[in-house]
Amino acid sequence: MSSAMENNILLKTDSYKISHHKQYPPETTVVYAYLESRGGDYPEQVFFGLQYILKKHLAGQVVTREYLEQGIDFWHKHFGYDIVNREMWEYIIEKYDGYLPIRIKAVPEGTVVPTGNVLMTIENTDPKCSSLTTFLETILLQIWYPITIATNSREIKKILLRSLVKTGDPSVIKGQLHDFGFRGVSSYETSAIGSCAHLTSFSGTDTISGCVLAHNFYLAEEMIAFSIPASEHSTMVSWTKEKEREAYENILDMYPNGIVACVSDSYNIYDACEHIWGTQLHDKILERDGTLVIRSDSGDPIEVLERLLTILYDKFGGAVNEKGFKVLDKHIRLIQGDGVNMKAIKEILELLERIGFATDNLIFGSGGGLLQKFDRDTMKFAIKCSFVEITGIGGIAVAKNPITDAGKRNKPGRLKLVKDNDDTYRTLNSIDHTEEYDAAEDQLVTVFENGKILCEYTFDTIRANCDIDIDRLDSINFM
Amino acid sequence: MEDNILLKADSYKISHHSQYPPNINIVYAYLESRGGDYPEQVFFGLQYILKKHLIGQVVTKEKLAEATKFWTEHFGHDYIEKEMWEYIIEKHNGHLPIRIKAVPEGTVVPTGNVLMTIENTDPKCPSLTTFLETILLQVWYPITIATNSREIKKILLKALVRTGDPTLIKNQMHDFGFRGVSSYETSAIGSCAHLTSFYGTDTISGCVLAKNYYSAQEIAAHSIPASEHSTMVSWTREREHDAYKNFLEIYPTGTISCVSDSYNIYNACEHIWGEALHDQVMARDGTLVIRPDSGNPLEVLERLLNILYAKFGGITNDKGFKVIDKHVRIIQGDGVNLKTIHDIVNLIERIGFSTDNLVFGSGGGLLQKFDRDTMKFAIKCSYVEINGIGSPVAKDPITDMGKRNKPGRLKLIKDHDDSYRTISNIDHIDEYDKADDQLVTVYENGKLLQEYSLETIRATCDIDIDRLDFMHIMQTH
Repeated sequence: MSSAMENNILLKTDSYKISHHKQYPPETTVVYAYLESRGGDYPEQVFFGLQYILKKHLAGQVVTREYLEQGIDFWHKHFGYDIVNREMWEYIIEKYDGYLPIRIKAVPEGTVVPTGNVLMTIENTDPKCSSLTTFLETILLQIWYPITIATNSREIKKILLRSLVKTGDPSVIKGQLHDFGFRGVSSYETSAIGSCAHLTSFSGTDTISGCVLAHNFYLAEEMIAFSIPASEHSTMVSWTKEKEREAYENILDMYPNGIVACVSDSYNIYDACEHIWGTQLHDKILERDGTLVIRSDSGDPIEVLERLLTILYDKFGGAVNEKGFKVLDKHIRLIQGDGVNMKAIKEILELLERIGFATDNLIFGSGGGLLQKFDRDTMKFAIKCSFVEITGIGGIAVAKNPITDAGKRNKPGRLKLVKDNDDTYRTLNSIDHTEEYDAAEDQLVTVFENGKILCEYTFDTIRANCDIDIDRLDSINFM
Repeated sequence: MEDNILLKADSYKISHHSQYPPNINIVYAYLESRGGDYPEQVFFGLQYILKKHLIGQVVTKEKLAEATKFWTEHFGHDYIEKEMWEYIIEKHNGHLPIRIKAVPEGTVVPTGNVLMTIENTDPKCPSLTTFLETILLQVWYPITIATNSREIKKILLKALVRTGDPTLIKNQMHDFGFRGVSSYETSAIGSCAHLTSFYGTDTISGCVLAKNYYSAQEIAAHSIPASEHSTMVSWTREREHDAYKNFLEIYPTGTISCVSDSYNIYNACEHIWGEALHDQVMARDGTLVIRPDSGNPLEVLERLLNILYAKFGGITNDKGFKVIDKHVRIIQGDGVNLKTIHDIVNLIERIGFSTDNLVFGSGGGLLQKFDRDTMKFAIKCSYVEINGIGSPVAKDPITDMGKRNKPGRLKLIKDHDDSYRTISNIDHIDEYDKADDQLVTVYENGKLLQEYSLETIRATCDIDIDRLDFMHIMQTH
């Protein structure tokens, strides 16, 4: 019984929300709230991750007698007295068989929307359950994370694509940013959500939990991402420094064809590239039916990559492509997997271009910079109540508007996301845009209602929705 | 599939078994924080990982088949070390032949020391050690959160000792982080880590984790009724006073908190709380904690303290600092992190108020704004045995000395003055064998050999007020 506590919706909310039901005006029958990113550096965001939250936490019979009693007991100990809204929860069990009388509308997953727009709305469908809307804020607002990761990865994709278009082969984009973040996130669950979010824009990962999540929650019947055999320091240094060459040769022997990566900085990356790979194992590499990807994992990437590209081009040769940039022989590539984030990627791409090498020569790997170094403030995500209905008064728009921070003012009223003829988005509300509002076509779709998921998105669809059209790269907003 | 240990490692680790030297029998690795700004760390969170992922019969035929299929689709080839996993199922009944030693949870150790070691116990399973690195290294998170919260506790305690009542420390840093972390699981781990130093949280998942994984018999932390903007603005601006009045009426006793910046926090404090509802607040059997949630905290708090002291009165305590009447307090829950706490307590002292007047709430700054680089955590292989002969191994990149690892088998020892250091059987041959290892075998062959309760952990990392002056307090910049 106690392990089920982690699955108890009554225990998935900030403590103070247990107390909110009494704080609303009496006879409040509807509480309506919405999600938006209030700003930050990212100009537009990829909406992703709601389906996971709905399936994991909200869909189906989530309230039962057992959970209610368990929740009441735990909360009582936590507060020192009993403040749970027992009446409402018992009503939900009786009338709705434990399904949540809530309606959630959201922009389809994968849609790219400029910040400052409504992305999702939540309201109760039963007038006796008005406090349920904001009760769910806590778990729903965790969507800040997959949106932010999907958004960041897509922004990096823009940069990489632009660079590939300029200097090399854009068709390699899908494997150009590989996820190394499994160990560097805060939990298994986070690794799965974050890595899946990254995979809305890319197809390479070592964080397999994301592929599992896509399979279980996003109807991915086929494998959504791939990886290659690769070494780590332990499999290299266990041979000892004296036998560094044997360690590398063994990699080539174990994987006689295909792509394989080998971390080469255990002792001296320059020596490894110049003398071991570049001289002693040179012929073996060129005879191999596949690509060796050399991984550097320390030092200043700019400095190291410049030297390595020069060494490897010298040792293995290559060609100048039709865009005028050097491409290493196809048997050799580089992967930079240390210190990688958007800023470092930009700098490295600039370096490559400056020294005349195509972006094709390099793949990026990123861990913390891809999946962990973000927070709710990165894109200023918030869920805010904007409209209520009270018996005897009717519907009224509500908004906080602190004198101490104009940025924290929320949009008032009921909201719609509309798409204009030029494919741009904006948000209308029932207060400021009364004329337009009723007739306007809402891009938000009802995805969840009374415990049922009404609309499901496959991972394929999501990827298509947020894909980047190369031909429109020049008119796209870059950060 | 989410419960399959074979799917809890970085992809490339599936390929490592063929990359070790032939006849390798033992792979030994260790965990350390290689630096960062935090001078010492609280070891916490391993027990959760062990119980959640590694204990008992974690490998079965079904899981092996499931994983083999998944990995083959992922690589386009079958690279999995079938032989080893089948052997583990047959010989060890699906229990992992691994030994993990670690410093007792809650122990505070200076950075740069070994905290945990991992090695295989069966010579046929050497690649298992680093296979588990991925999931074990996620311990960086609870350690970092527990460490950060304890550093905050040092700052708050110092301020309370100087200006007020140190017994208030337990509830002075309240966790608001549930919505601002990346997942439910992270919220539970992080909030529990915070609770190794404090007793107030709104992230109830941490209390659930403490109960399920850390034998917390009693509830690990508490909270109070409090409002949010939706419960205030739903009354509309015209009825702000009614919203606050209702709030006092539905909670006639005890500590409660009310967010008061929906429109104008200064007006709310001066005219609504401070005048219209003044008597009701003073007549109440309990404390109203006013919450600002916007603006520059330094600016806002200075004004609010002065307004509230003027309206509600108070006393000057025996340390010479002003304490507002006990019916009113403030909670700062916006923009709070280690640095801003430092700035705020300095401000409060400067303007002559006791830090008793204030409680802090923090979300992202407490549970999310950290990463593995914060304390430079890594697990590194330092020793192997090949054909029964042991040798130390170490990376030592010319491109970064900081990434060199300690070589050999390691022990954590405690000297007479209670300070810690790490010795290896390579660099400290004379000392090593006899030395008393502070690392304890907590896990062996699928069994948990040692369990720590949250209570014990809290005691272990507690801060002795009398030794505060000698403690290393972080510079915040």
